[in-house]
Amino acid sequence: MPNGLVLYNYELDDSCYRVRLALSLLGLTWQSVAVDVFPGKEHLSPPFLALNPSGRLPILRDGDLVLHGTEAIIAHLARAHDPSGKWLPAQGPEFAAVMQWLIFSAHDLGVTIAAREHSLFATSGNEASLCAASSKAIRIMDDHMTARGFAQAEWFAAGHPTIADIALFPAFALSRDFGIDHDEYPALRRWARRFRVLPGFKTMPGIPDYH
Amino acid sequence: MRVQDCWHPVALSHSIEAGSSAGTRLLDRELVVWRDNSGVAHVWEDRCPHRGMKLSFGFVRGDHIACLYHGWQYNSGGHCQYIPAHPALEVPKTIKVQVYPAHERSGMIWTTLPENPAAVPEDDEPVVPLRSLYLGCGFDAAIEALSACRLVPFASDAPAETTVSRVTDTLFAVSCAQDRLLVGVQAISTTRTACHLSLCGPAQRYLGAGQIHFNDWALQLRRAAEQAPAAQAAPDRDVA
Repeated sequence: MPNGLVLYNYELDDSCYRVRLALSLLGLTWQSVAVDVFPGKEHLSPPFLALNPSGRLPILRDGDLVLHGTEAIIAHLARAHDPSGKWLPAQGPEFAAVMQWLIFSAHDLGVTIAAREHSLFATSGNEASLCAASSKAIRIMDDHMTARGFAQAEWFAAGHPTIADIALFPAFALSRDFGIDHDEYPALRRWARRFRVLPGFKTMPGIPDYH
Repeated sequence: MRVQDCWHPVALSHSIEAGSSAGTRLLDRELVVWRDNSGVAHVWEDRCPHRGMKLSFGFVRGDHIACLYHGWQYNSGGHCQYIPAHPALEVPKTIKVQVYPAHERSGMIWTTLPENPAAVPEDDEPVVPLRSLYLGCGFDAAIEALSACRLVPFASDAPAETTVSRVTDTLFAVSCAQDRLLVGVQAISTTRTACHLSLCGPAQRYLGAGQIHFNDWALQLRRAAEQAPAAQAAPDRDVA
């Protein structure tokens, strides 16, 4: 399959959802290959470790390119497949802000992924400390969007949605899966309402179709 | 007045857009705050009488809120009007959500829990929304941090004294030179408190730079409240 996009996907995975959102919001067509992560642990089998030795999904194949790492994948999709250039601004403060929030997604929101997996799949971890650290990370996002509101800005990194918004949306939208309600994050609630009406938006299990 | 009998702020008006809902807690009771499409705010018990699902997970259509589980629709009086699984059924009047009074004042949505609520304080003035702060401390620790805070004036350059006064049991005013902030304090539980903040004055004075100025102060207040020793212990209390 040298041409076309192939996503190695697990439907319940927060990180795979970020890539599905990026593909869909960019208006791309792709083929999805279902991977039996739970309970099959297929992502840890030799064929998948050959694609990503870290043993994590998502993995994207784009022609001859095989890529892992959620933020790298969505950055590649935006750079290679978004002729408008808006989803990943090329330079300046908007590029820098997108990078900052992509790294926040990869680093600070790792704990939300761990909290959700602990809650859904009984993976290891201390529930109270995962929950406390997740609340802290989500509060940082809410504080940022509160401040953005004072500048009449509706999106995380630019005057329009970027892949930063795509990378950050799932952790908030799925937070009830790991016991964090949306009560205390008014700026993120408003942002999520805007995000949900973007053309190409998709839900996943845990995110209601109606809102 | 006992704390149960007060009017309590449960959200900044600005945070609840038309056609949306949010959950919150007041004195450990779960509430849904929602705004219908015509702009009227409602405060209800956050529980669908059918299966106990939180109505704040649901969705607002017109002047109804519907439960996410089975789509039961409730009118603004809290009565169930329509059950999608039984479209021809005239729904019994007994299927009703507990509805609390809701009033908007000082840029905040207020409610009260008793059967025969006290009169709503009448005073109102034009405000600019600032933000809500959610604090990991009890009501008393929040008030203590608020009382100790110092404002840097925005509307004038001269240094000035900060005064903190209690307008009602749950509403405080922080003044400094020409600036006046209203702080509605919501007792979520014995260990969590929300402060809803509005700036008194015209929009052209505070929108943008003024909001950013006082947002910095709000974040300092949150740090102070959460670091204070009193944040660790906060027993049940009545407001004097």
